[in-house]
Parts: sequence; C-alpha cells; structure tokens
Amino acid sequence: MNRCSPFLLIPLLLILSGCNESDSKKSNLEEPIDNTQEVADYYAAYPDFFQIRSLTDVPANLHWQDGSDLPEIGSPDAKKGGSEYVRIQDFPRTLRTVGPDSNGSFRRWILDDTAMSLGHRHPDLMDFFPGLATAWAVDAKTKTVFVKLDPDAHWSDGVAITADDYFFTFWLNRSPYITAPWYNNYYNTQFTGITKYSDYLIAVTIPELKPDTDAKVLGLSPLPRHFYRQVGSDFIERYQWRIAPTTGAYVIHEKDLKKGRSVRLSRNPQWWAGNKKQWRYRYNVDAINLTVIRDTPKEFEAFKRGDIDQISLNLAEYWHEKLPDNDPDVAAGYIEKKVFYNQKPRPPYGLWINTSQPMLDDLNIRLGIQSATHWQLVIDKFFRGDYQRLATANDGYGKFSHPSLKARQFDIKLALDYFAKAGFKQRNSKGILERSDGTRLSFTLSSGYESLKDVLTILKEEAAKAGLEYRIEVLDGTSGWKKVQEKQHDLHFSAFGYALELYPRFWETYHSSNAYDQAFDDLGNPNPDRKLKTQTNNLEAFAQYEMDQLINAYRRSSEEQEMVNLAHKMSEIHHANGSFVPGFYQGFFRMGHWRWVRYPENFSHKHASSATQLFVHWIDQDLKTQTQFAKQQGTAFAASVRVYDRFRN
Amino acid sequence: MHLNLNPQTRKRLQRFRKIRLGYFSFLTLASLVALLCFAELLVNSRALIVHYQGETYFPTYSGFYSGNKFGLDYSYQVNYRQLAAVFAKEQSSNWVLMPLVPYNPYENHSPGSVFKPEPPSFQTQHYLGTDTTSRDILARLVYGTRTALLFAFAFMICVYFIGILVGCSMGYFGGVFDLIFQRLIEIWSNVPFLYMVIIVFSIIPSDASIPARISILLMVMVLFSWTSMTYYMRTETYKEKSRDYIAAARVIGASTMRVISKHILPNVLATLVTFMPFTIVSAIAAITALDFLGFGLPVPTPSLGELLKQGTANLRTAPWIVISAFGTLVALLTLVTFIGEAVRESFDPKKFTIYR
Repeated sequence: MNRCSPFLLIPLLLILSGCNESDSKKSNLEEPIDNTQEVADYYAAYPDFFQIRSLTDVPANLHWQDGSDLPEIGSPDAKKGGSEYVRIQDFPRTLRTVGPDSNGSFRRWILDDTAMSLGHRHPDLMDFFPGLATAWAVDAKTKTVFVKLDPDAHWSDGVAITADDYFFTFWLNRSPYITAPWYNNYYNTQFTGITKYSDYLIAVTIPELKPDTDAKVLGLSPLPRHFYRQVGSDFIERYQWRIAPTTGAYVIHEKDLKKGRSVRLSRNPQWWAGNKKQWRYRYNVDAINLTVIRDTPKEFEAFKRGDIDQISLNLAEYWHEKLPDNDPDVAAGYIEKKVFYNQKPRPPYGLWINTSQPMLDDLNIRLGIQSATHWQLVIDKFFRGDYQRLATANDGYGKFSHPSLKARQFDIKLALDYFAKAGFKQRNSKGILERSDGTRLSFTLSSGYESLKDVLTILKEEAAKAGLEYRIEVLDGTSGWKKVQEKQHDLHFSAFGYALELYPRFWETYHSSNAYDQAFDDLGNPNPDRKLKTQTNNLEAFAQYEMDQLINAYRRSSEEQEMVNLAHKMSEIHHANGSFVPGFYQGFFRMGHWRWVRYPENFSHKHASSATQLFVHWIDQDLKTQTQFAKQQGTAFAASVRVYDRFRN
Repeated sequence: MHLNLNPQTRKRLQRFRKIRLGYFSFLTLASLVALLCFAELLVNSRALIVHYQGETYFPTYSGFYSGNKFGLDYSYQVNYRQLAAVFAKEQSSNWVLMPLVPYNPYENHSPGSVFKPEPPSFQTQHYLGTDTTSRDILARLVYGTRTALLFAFAFMICVYFIGILVGCSMGYFGGVFDLIFQRLIEIWSNVPFLYMVIIVFSIIPSDASIPARISILLMVMVLFSWTSMTYYMRTETYKEKSRDYIAAARVIGASTMRVISKHILPNVLATLVTFMPFTIVSAIAAITALDFLGFGLPVPTPSLGELLKQGTANLRTAPWIVISAFGTLVALLTLVTFIGEAVRESFDPKKFTIYR
C-alpha cells in the first residue's frame, strides 16, 4: 500500500483544479469580430423598443428631480492615498460581470459596490442621488422615466458615456451570447423600450407603474459599447479575462492581476466623479490589494499580524473569543472594534419546507415542525444572543413587513399535539414518533452552509425531544442550491440575499406558477395532474389560489397603501401555511480594524449592509507609522470598542 | 486455547512476543479495541443502572425511557444526569449509576450559558473539555476512534479479499488472463484515489441513514484501493506455483481451489500479514484526511478528522481540542506502526542481519 498517497494527493488536486483553461481555443479567439452591423440590425428589428427622437419631443411639463438636497455621504476629513490590504476567499473565475461564474463574491469589487449606475439610493433616506444621471423625471401617463445623463461622465479609458452605451446595454443583456437566462428575461420583460433624445438624454419605459418606478430605471448601469465590439458566440471565452473600462473609481491594470493569488485595484486619478457631491469623500484609498486567503482562521491570523487592515467579526466566536475586548491589541488601542445596527431587508434564514413531499403536505405535520424547531436555543446559545428571531420571511421592509406576526415558539407539548393529529402517537425505541403502520416521523434536513452545520446538529437534538427526527445532510454551497432548485429537499436551511428594495417580492417565492405547471383549473381547484416545476425560487412548492390572486393584484398595484395591505395579508396566509420556519437575522454588522483605518463620525449608514460597502473609510499613513512604532515600543492608546445603535429596533 | 499452528508460525509468534515494543503495543491496542467495543458502558448519557421505586432498569442497551417513567414531567428521553440530581435531592431509596463520562457524543451540554469550547474540567466531568458547540471531546474521541478503527478493519478485510482473489488468480492462471488484468489494474490504479472518493461521494444522494452512508464511503474507498495488494499476491503466487510441492499437489489431482487455498495461501501469508498494519494506518489516515476536508463521515458523526479541523480553527482560543485529537491520532498510528514493524521483523526469514 502506498502509505502517504492521500496526503500527497491533496496539493496535486489543487493544482489540477486550477488548470481548466484550454489553449486550443486561443487561436480562434484571436480572430477579430465586429458586431457593429449585427447590433444595428437588432435595433432596427425592434423599432418599438429602440427609438430615436429629437429633443423637441420631450414633454414639457416634466417634474425633474436631482436628489441635490440629500445629505452627503462620507466625511470631508477623509484623506486620499495609502494602500489597503483585503482578503478575498477565492480568486475570481472570470472578470466578466455577466455570464457563467460571474455572479461570485468578487463582483462587488468590479460592479456592485464600485461601478456607478444612473442613480443610487441614499443609504439613510432611500431617495436617489445622481450617479451617471444629473436629473430624472417620471411621466406616469406613459410609464416612462426620462433621464438627463451627466456630460462629464466618461469611462476609465477616457471615452465619453453616452446614450449609445445604454442602448447597447439592452442589446448585450438580451443577447443569447452571454448565456445568462435571468438577465435575458429581466431585460426582455421588465422594460418595454428605450428612447434616445440626444447623446445625453434618454427615456426608459417600463410595463407597470410602481411606487418606486424610478428605482428600476435609475438602477441601470451602462456597458461600454466600444469595449464590447467583439462580442459574438464566443463571448464567454473571449471576455473571460478582459478588463472592462469602468465608470467607477477603481481600475485594474493587467500587471496587477496575479491569477490564483491576488488582484490590485488602483484609484483612477482621472476618475470623472472624483469631485462630485456624494462621491468626492468616498473611494479614498489609492490601492486596494486583494489577496486570496482561503481559510477564515488564517485570515484572522493575517489580520492580527497587520497584514490585512480590517476584518468582519460577525461570527460570535470571533467577536467574543478570538478578539475579545481585553485582547492585548484591542486593550492597547491598536485594533478598534465596532458594531453598527442597521435596517435592511433581512435574508430569510430558516427552514424551507417542501410541501410537495409526502407527509410534509399535511398542515398538522408542518405546524408540529414549527413548534419542534428550537431556533431560540440556537440564537441564545450558539449565536450568544447577538442575533434575533426572524418573524416572517419578509422582515426589514419597514411598513411592508407585517407589524405583529411572530414566529412560533418551541413547544414540545404543542408539537406532540399536532403530530398526534397527523397520526403520530407512539414513540419507538429511539424516542421518535411512529404511526401505527410503522411510518417514522423523520425528514432530511439539508443545507449548503457548511459553516453553520452545528446549527443543524442543535436543531436535531432538540427536535428529537418532540419525537421528530432530522436526518442532517450538509452539502457544499453549489450542490445544496442545486438540490432545492430541483425541489428534491424535505426541509432546507437556507436564505436568499435580498437587495435593498422598498417592498418585498412575493411572486418568485409564493406564486403557484413557480410551484407547478398549471397548478389550478379555471375554477381555482387544484389540478390533479399538475407537475412540480423545478429551477424556481418557490422552494416551498407553495400554491394557493387565493395567494395567486393577491400576488397578481400586488404586482399590478401602484398604490403604496394598497400594496402594504396586500403584503400583510400575504404574510398572514404564508404564516398560516406553516411552510417556512423563520430562523434568525443579524440586526447589525460588526468588524475590527487597525487604528490607521479611519471612518466618518457616524461610521456607517442606516441601510448599509457592511462597513466597507460604501468605501467611506480611509487610511491614515501618519497614524499607521505612529501605531506600528507604538506597538514596537509597547506604548498604548485609549481602547476603542464602539456600538452604534441609532438604528436598532 | 489450542491452535493447530505449524512450527514455523509458532516460531514467528514467539519472535513477535520477544520484540517487546511491538508486543506491548499489540496488547495496548487489543485492550483498547476491547474497551471500545463496550464504549457505551463507559461513555454515555444513558445511565448504567437506575433503581426507581424498587425496580431496577438498565437503560444502556435497552430502549428509550421517557421522563414520565421516572416521575419527571416530560415525555422525551430522560436526562439521566438530571434524574441523578433529582434522586440525590429527594434522598429516597431511588438511585442512578452513571458511566465514567456521563455524556454522549451528540449532545450540546454547556456548563456556562452559551455553546463554546470549555477547557478540560473534572468538576463538570468534561475530562478533555468541550468542542465549539459544547459537545464532550472525550466522548467524541472515543466514538470517533471506534468508528475509525472499525472502518479501517472493514477496509482492510475488503481490500485483502479482493486483492488476494485477483492477485492469486493472476499468478496462478498466468497467460492472457494475467496480461489483461495487469493492464486493467495499471489503468485503474492510476485513477487518483482521493480525488475519486471526493467526486463519487459527492454525487451519491446522501439522504440514506448514517450507517448506509458510511458503508458507501467504505465501498468507494475499497474500489480505488484494492489494486496495490494484487502485485504482491501475483508475484508470490507465481513463485510458489513453480515449486515442486505445488506440482506434486496438481499431479495427485488437487483442484485449483484446493491448491490455492490449502497450499499457496498459507505460504504467502507471511507477506500478507506484514502489510496489514500499514493498511490499517493508511485507512485511518485516509478517513481522517477526508473528514478534515469535509468529505468523510456525514455530520454529526464524531470523527478524528472533524475534531482536528475544529482544533486547527481554534488553535489560539481552544488548544485542548487539537491536542486531544492530534494526540489520539499520533498514539493510534504509532501503536499500529510499532506492531507492523514487529510483525515484519518476526516474519523476516533472515534472523541475523547486519541492517539491524
């Protein structure tokens, strides 16, 4: 036997998995493509969607808004310059922002948190302030949003950003070349047209008016027309590692891309928005060095050495034990700790029950599961009381969230009553309930969260007290997600990441058309031949005729109060169905940073989801030298552990 | 005990006994295995004996007793530690005898208010401390080691069974059969073992019960590990086959099965036996490595690899986790290696060698 084979193989595996590029395709990729004609033909083929008009056609009585009265983000004290060192868990699999593998955690550095869109929501007040637009106006009659583009705006390579780039955005996102069905669908169905009045005035039309009609349009980010001239059927390979010009402050230079190891973002000194309001005190650091460190424990060690400047301390273990307030570096003021309570749509962490599975289609069993799942213990003991119990699947939407619904408490007696109603009355030799025919009350509890597997173990131990058996299945993230998308789960522990939106979505998760093909007949009775629909976000296979009607009304409605009422009603129906066991939410974010990383006085903003999201911090070089010297000498500063609870519930 | 051993084997065993390091390692490991077989009596949250209202119960191996049975106000499994405390307080004739370590490897028992690693303490009877979710480390080590050893023995038996069968056939039949199988084995053995285990195991639908999942893992590992044994068996069989006594056996009409099992196998046993301990070592190492990477035994099965992983993630704050797991692994592998070395030496025909 080869005694050391398992250990020798591990590095080999890592090397092998890194080599997935094929050189054979390279020669083809060199061939030039020019899609100018193809794009022009496409515009011509959809004359209703892509329109060109003159400035005289712009309605005269528009009410233009420009968000100029909103308070400024960031601090005037911010110093530009310095280098920041940041950990990334994986090297990005591509530098594309669309197409396969592009929706990874790296995207925030090249798109989500750095690129500019037409307008941006103010992180305190939710209203929009200008990004690439200077002003916008909603014409309710034609369901159109008019947008004046900033003539100063240009791409990082110096080319001006004009209406053509927005036209092209629709072409690319509707194109089959990008292999991104969600984008294809979104840009095909959520917009009904774009009109160019001049190079710097466009209008975008949407199918339904909503309370936040402007949000959908102002959220648009343009794509550089001149850069994507070579898009064709080989888009995915051709653009895999090409660095696109950006609207944002940070650019990547070819030489700073060390595949598999690190990427450096450099602040563009010619960034066009560098002196604009809302932007001038942000993106202060000159160079952001992103280095791959796979393990979180290693990241922590790197942070303690000062190799990286900031670290998220959201996990209780890290906040309370690995970096406690009496840690020598914290006590001496070299490292500062901060907690910030925020308000935002809460990711619905909880158990998603697949109601299309046998037994789980029984309401009594689902209600029994609700009472047999001890989330409060997990929150109190595992998360050390830092997190809070989620009430519904749509918390954190302000008045759209239900004001009084609460998740059901752990109650063994109640759970046993419900299970008894479903025929489970006898305990077997292991204490698990059984029906008289020998059926056991046992379900698979799966999850793609490897790091939270202990949560499942705790739930399992507690559920056994109520005679319910959870068979735990911990998968890696991708296979976990695949399992629920195929609707093969019994109960799945997961959550959706919700973007900052005014009101929750219900269609994706609760509409019957996402659960079954033809769930109901014309009279609203369940169709006996209906087939389960996979690859949708209706993870509960939730299908109720009444809910469908409410969702349709909700989607059509443009009246805010009506939508609020509908949202509450739908939350109540969902609660009564018991197909989602609300888990926990984290009402804050917390982090540690070295003393030389500085933040504005108020640290962060009401709706922010992390401290670094808005790039308001800066590196103070003098403080860095001072702190490093003091650490050598052993002199201490005042300790700083701060709690910002202005927005605490 | 009367064993009909041939004189040579008896001599080898005597030599093995004289190699003290190996012999004592063997005794230690054997007693450890014996103890682990009855781990439920030593490490368990169920009581050994409950004496309640004149009746005596032995819950260790029996079924489930609800709290109501012993006068508590709940219908789920009795918490025997709590029961012991209740009885002690009542000062009645009822009593409970708990095992040495009164915890099972799955329960989260935190002496404090939150689940976090607690250092070893005699007072709370967590003799090696607790892990990150307040499970008793000693309990997890004991059951984890038992699973690893069981797994390793089963692995060895399976690998040897297939290896001997294929290897002997190749050596005995030779010719085209040998040629084809050799090529097949060469190809098969070039499939990277750990990589394949990870791939195959990740696509197996794992909603089966935990024992079923462990058996699947075992099967997959055996499937990619049996090849190396065939080389030794093939050459040994070739060698023995050409000896006169085999020719004699064949001449008097012994069947193939008889020749292989009665004549060849006993004579190649020496080679086999010397490899056994190392197979065990590699099986334990492999299952630990797989667990460490998160591809091994299903959650929440206690295992050495899982503890090692926790330990390395909490080196600063909870060094007792990694010390326990690492210590156990080192001790276990050292014992088996010592035994292996001793076996190899005692089966070595060259008694006096300058290499000693």
